[in-house]
Amino acid sequence: MPPGLTYLADNIITSQNILGVTKEQSARWAQKLDIPRQAETIFFAGCGYQFSPQLERLMSLARGVDKSVIGAELPMRFARFQKKLGLNLPGIYSNVLSLNILPGREELKPLEAAIKVLRNLGIQPGYLAEEEPCCGAPLNHAGLQTKFAENARQAYRTLKSHGVKKIIGIVPYCTHAISKLFPLYVDGYDLEVRHFLEVVVEKIPSLKLKFPRKVKVTYHDPCQLVRYLSLVEEPRRILTSIENIELVEPDWTRGEWATCCGGGGGFETVFPELSQVLAVNRASELLETGAEIIVTHCPGCIMQLKDGLRELKVEGVEVLDLSQVVAMAMET
Amino acid sequence: MKKTSDFKNYKKEIMGAAHDDRLRLALSRAIKSFRSNVKDALEKFPHTVGMAEEVLKIKEAAIPRMEELARQAIAVIEENKGKGYIAKTANEALEIIADLTGTNKLVVKGKTMTGEEIGLREYLEEKGNEVYETDLGEFIIQKMGSRPMHILSPSIHVPREDVARLFSKVMGQEIAPDSKIADMVAAAREYLRDKFFRADIGISGANVVAAETGTLFIIENEGNIRLATSAPPVHIALVGMEKLVPTLSDAYKVSEVTWRYANYTIPSYVSLVSGPSKTGDIEKETTYGAHGPKEFHVIFLDGGRTRLARYPRLAQALYCLRCGGCLYECPVFAVTAGHFGDKYFAGIGAVWAAIVNEDMEKAASIAYTCLTCGRCRQRCPMKIDVPEMIIELRKLLAEGDPANARD
Repeated sequence: MPPGLTYLADNIITSQNILGVTKEQSARWAQKLDIPRQAETIFFAGCGYQFSPQLERLMSLARGVDKSVIGAELPMRFARFQKKLGLNLPGIYSNVLSLNILPGREELKPLEAAIKVLRNLGIQPGYLAEEEPCCGAPLNHAGLQTKFAENARQAYRTLKSHGVKKIIGIVPYCTHAISKLFPLYVDGYDLEVRHFLEVVVEKIPSLKLKFPRKVKVTYHDPCQLVRYLSLVEEPRRILTSIENIELVEPDWTRGEWATCCGGGGGFETVFPELSQVLAVNRASELLETGAEIIVTHCPGCIMQLKDGLRELKVEGVEVLDLSQVVAMAMET
Repeated sequence: MKKTSDFKNYKKEIMGAAHDDRLRLALSRAIKSFRSNVKDALEKFPHTVGMAEEVLKIKEAAIPRMEELARQAIAVIEENKGKGYIAKTANEALEIIADLTGTNKLVVKGKTMTGEEIGLREYLEEKGNEVYETDLGEFIIQKMGSRPMHILSPSIHVPREDVARLFSKVMGQEIAPDSKIADMVAAAREYLRDKFFRADIGISGANVVAAETGTLFIIENEGNIRLATSAPPVHIALVGMEKLVPTLSDAYKVSEVTWRYANYTIPSYVSLVSGPSKTGDIEKETTYGAHGPKEFHVIFLDGGRTRLARYPRLAQALYCLRCGGCLYECPVFAVTAGHFGDKYFAGIGAVWAAIVNEDMEKAASIAYTCLTCGRCRQRCPMKIDVPEMIIELRKLLAEGDPANARD
């Protein structure tokens, strides 16, 4: 396994320091790409792939929420209950959030790659950089719908104030939140949200794509993409259109039947050990295909699958984001 | 009140299970064969998929009318000289059954998850009765002093060597650990044989009940339920109220969909029971208690089901046919079995724990263990949206439950 077996551990250590990051460092991944700030169609980078001051804001939002949960705002019943369970929600959030902040050098790539791919397809999206609002999906996931709804309305106002009409999302969680959940809480929600895969797959017939070397790849469907956003055929059509790539898939656990990597929304912080067991299980299923590259399209899945491979002590198998694979296939 | 360390204990329990290689092996084999059996069953009978859509509509219409359907069923059952009861709570159900049973009786039981839900066997034993589980899996669990780990295959986690050791002890005859499974099955058959005929009471559940005729549909393969519900002089059936549907034809459809999604192409037996045994062969005078039971009692258990039916996003939990398919698709269940659960298992089990059993602590533990990955929904013939229910449940836990403001 290439770049570093201590990858995940580094992520966590680095991200805990990252929480104090300054705004100048925000959205650094995009700096040299020179993406316009103002555009009708924007690229929504989300938290998962990047680290940015937005995370700082999300952190304080989540902390605020937690304080209010434990404090006076919500029924005492819950506070008692939390104590009884020994559930430490603030701890869970900060862990979830810090896990989501992947350190720059390793994980800038998928986002850069995605922008590059879009540009090659003749699409020039804008990017709000440090003005990009957070989708707040972890709030919804934790059952804090009231806070999620507040955040959704705020995010919508922010997007509208920048003249945004269309959004190309990439992180599964964020894309699901802004396309399917926001309309439930925001009156007159009128933003057109599409996932990166939907945009790319349309242009595939007109492209000549060739991976630099002959490889067997398998594809891991992120739960949110396949079962929440129904993007089943899109990634497969993209991968099979690339010369030199042979797509090999597990017998049963593919598409809608794909097994979760074990990183389901904060699960990994409540049950870190069990989460790893599940990551190993999923990695094993994928390895049975004989693939040399495991392609997926979610920052959480990437992290989990890399960890799974590490636990299995597998060498010579890479985990790559689909955007990276497409970008590489455009270079040759 | 439970101790503060509930969640810690729970976490320890599921991690213990996750590190149990034998359990994992047993489960991975079961999952593989379940998937291939269901695929096979659905390919042979492709109409099942469309029928499942019909059944969903039947359930959607029936659940809000549960109590009315129960009263309708009771009226017909009593016309047919059986007895019907509505138990508002689990305790009421236990008392009704305990009163009917009495004490110092021999009881044979078919598998009933509703019985597990209310702790029926234990209760009857406390009242001084000798109770035998007759479903092989339940029998193993009972003799091990353990609890079921799957709704259809309660002893899914017990490898054959352990069964051999257990049976040797229980039956006082040596069964070698490398014996054939058939020999173990034969040993259980022999051991239980006379219990059926000596029993005072036979207890069963039901997979679905037709309200218009009061007919119980009971699906099985072993034949133990046939014996337990026909050999003893008294048959008592405990049925969750959500199992009622209006007509016989509805009930048939529910049955067929249930067994097929439970991975059976064709089950060996489906019993239809509507009343006590009777004959009119001598001078056309109807006489009760021919070869089957003379008494037939059906207890419809509410026990929180009508409460659950009032939660808009959670009521779908009542559509569950208990085919068990979701469990085989759950990545957490695949390594922990029923340790991830309460009376009912995996994500949907959290809803039952929270609203039916009102055990919020247990419910929270399960709700936070669910990945919300949604593969269970993919499998479910009723398309029950477990992730949606889990998020809703977390909301009730985090933001409070307006419906329960009375608390």
